[in-house]
Amino acid sequence: MIGRRGKLLIALYVVFLVILFLMCSTDLIIREPEKEIYQIAVIIEDAKSDNYVNFRKGMDQAAMEFNADVRFITLYEKRDAQQQAELMERERQDGADALIVVPADEEQAAGIQPVIPVIFLRSGQGEGTGAGSIITDYRKMGERIAHEILQDTPADSPVLAIRDTGRQSTMDRLFLEGAEAECRAAGRCWQIGTGKESIRAFLETLETPEGAKTVILAATPDILAQAAGILADSPSIAARVQGLYGRGSTLPILNYLDRGLITGICVTDEYGIGYLSVQMAVRALEGAVSQLPEVMDSYYITKKKLREPVYEKLLYPIE
Amino acid sequence: MPKKKLLFLLAVCLLLAACQGTRKGEQKTSVRIGISLYRADDTFINNLQSIFEAKAKEYEQENGIKVILDIQDAKGSQNVQNSQVERFISLGCDVLCINPVDRMDASAIIDMAMTAGVPVVFFNRQPVEEDMNRWDQLYYIGVDAKETAILQGKMVVDLYKEQPEAVDLNGDGVVGYVLLEGETSHQDSLIRTEWSIRTLKNGGVPIEKITGGIANWERSQGSALMEQWLSAYPGKIELVVSNNDDMALGAIDALERTKTDKVNVIGIDGTTPGLEALENGKLLGTVSANKELYATVMLEMAVSCALGESPPEEYPLEEGTYYWTPQEILIRETRKTEETPSQGK
Repeated sequence: MIGRRGKLLIALYVVFLVILFLMCSTDLIIREPEKEIYQIAVIIEDAKSDNYVNFRKGMDQAAMEFNADVRFITLYEKRDAQQQAELMERERQDGADALIVVPADEEQAAGIQPVIPVIFLRSGQGEGTGAGSIITDYRKMGERIAHEILQDTPADSPVLAIRDTGRQSTMDRLFLEGAEAECRAAGRCWQIGTGKESIRAFLETLETPEGAKTVILAATPDILAQAAGILADSPSIAARVQGLYGRGSTLPILNYLDRGLITGICVTDEYGIGYLSVQMAVRALEGAVSQLPEVMDSYYITKKKLREPVYEKLLYPIE
Repeated sequence: MPKKKLLFLLAVCLLLAACQGTRKGEQKTSVRIGISLYRADDTFINNLQSIFEAKAKEYEQENGIKVILDIQDAKGSQNVQNSQVERFISLGCDVLCINPVDRMDASAIIDMAMTAGVPVVFFNRQPVEEDMNRWDQLYYIGVDAKETAILQGKMVVDLYKEQPEAVDLNGDGVVGYVLLEGETSHQDSLIRTEWSIRTLKNGGVPIEKITGGIANWERSQGSALMEQWLSAYPGKIELVVSNNDDMALGAIDALERTKTDKVNVIGIDGTTPGLEALENGKLLGTVSANKELYATVMLEMAVSCALGESPPEEYPLEEGTYYWTPQEILIRETRKTEETPSQGK
């Protein structure tokens, strides 16, 4: 028979257990370490993400490692700086802790005074603003590819650069400026054109000095892939082309390079840029006041180099 | 006193219920869609993804509802896809669009989605019926494989009836064909093969199978097989029946490499490179799903699910779950001949 005192002790014990349970369930005793998830928005300058496949892989990898939730956003119209500024504001209002931006207009971007940390991916022009920047020197890239063209092709082959219709991005402009300077310095004939109607129609009207074939330099990855597709389908056009060069490392471009339709490409470590940009954004959120700009190297790749382990890792990254 | 307490409790409950009601009534201003692709380098899937992204932006502009897309490549691994789904759910995706790696093994995805209460729109690779019947928030968007195959066969039957010499290229009264098949685990592969050949036979085309092989939907594998067959059966192959455009393009690559002509190649999907090959006269024909509509239905279905609405009425669902995208035959020169209705298996 339990006495009154015993009953009281049991009641106290039950109350104690209940309190203990409540404290555990409300994290008062066992507290899970809180992991802050950083909300990061990536806003590129393009209306589609085809040229950012490896970048996104790097970005996703860093997002997992640094506990970030990364949203990848394209513009409605490519290179619309006004819209990009609106999207930056929208993302800030929607709770983004940091932004990673490929500026549609680098000069305009330089004037932005961001409220939250912004990492800019720039093309080697002007002073950096924001919490950090990653620079790919597109002028140098243009000079590099022109150097290779000058070495690989006969001196009487004119270089025809094809650029996009409408407004050029800073990276396209710097890439062509670099190539033009190098070609002109070497006395090589330099022409520039836009595929106003279509790249095919443009290539069909190629006129070259007698006996000489034209070297084609594509300003954008899209033009490079299109031009390579045309050379694959049209032997008559291909017969008038000495070589096709450009920049970018999308899968179609790499396949065309592998098939020998593209002679050489300049690339950067896009996976590395994606990874680094998220890492820098997280660092900025964790209090890094100013981070030195990271300058990325560019590489010239031909079919022969495509399967070299160092480039294979760069071009076909595995998460 | 107890009566007063009871009234007080009742008032608190009513207040809480009212708060809950207000929250439910709030209009969402953004939706987040988690998309996992079985392989992002598959040309058809890649085309569809691009159109889907464009449609999402159009929707965002037209309706003022922000659409956040999280797109991941499962790289042919079901384990990777399962992890991606887990991450999508932990990131708070409102709906999932899943292109399953292994259609027989979608149960893990469905379990996670059901537990989290996140609807799933499967596409392109159809999970087994038992899985699809487990929850009323599971949908499938794809093309009817049997219809695809019949259309593929029909394009050759019609051509044969009009110009037999355009199909029986060596004029021996028999059309020697080879078959390029997709991966064995994909439901469409077997059905496309069976019904395409059956349509050719029933349509009166005097076909004779020379050989066939599995090229797993891939251009490079299709090319390698075709090169072997061209050297093993010189001058015998008149028609290449391929389960998709990529393998058909692989066969064309082999034909070009070996400088072989007088072989007709037919594919399925109407991918961008496939349509280019058609334009250039290298591909005889293809069966193309209306990819614009395919992506539109996927998006609208996903957004409706995310907003907690019922699926859009303008896209009627078979058994409340399946939507079959209409398809059309695209053939050299004439290009467009006919379009099928959006329903009906």
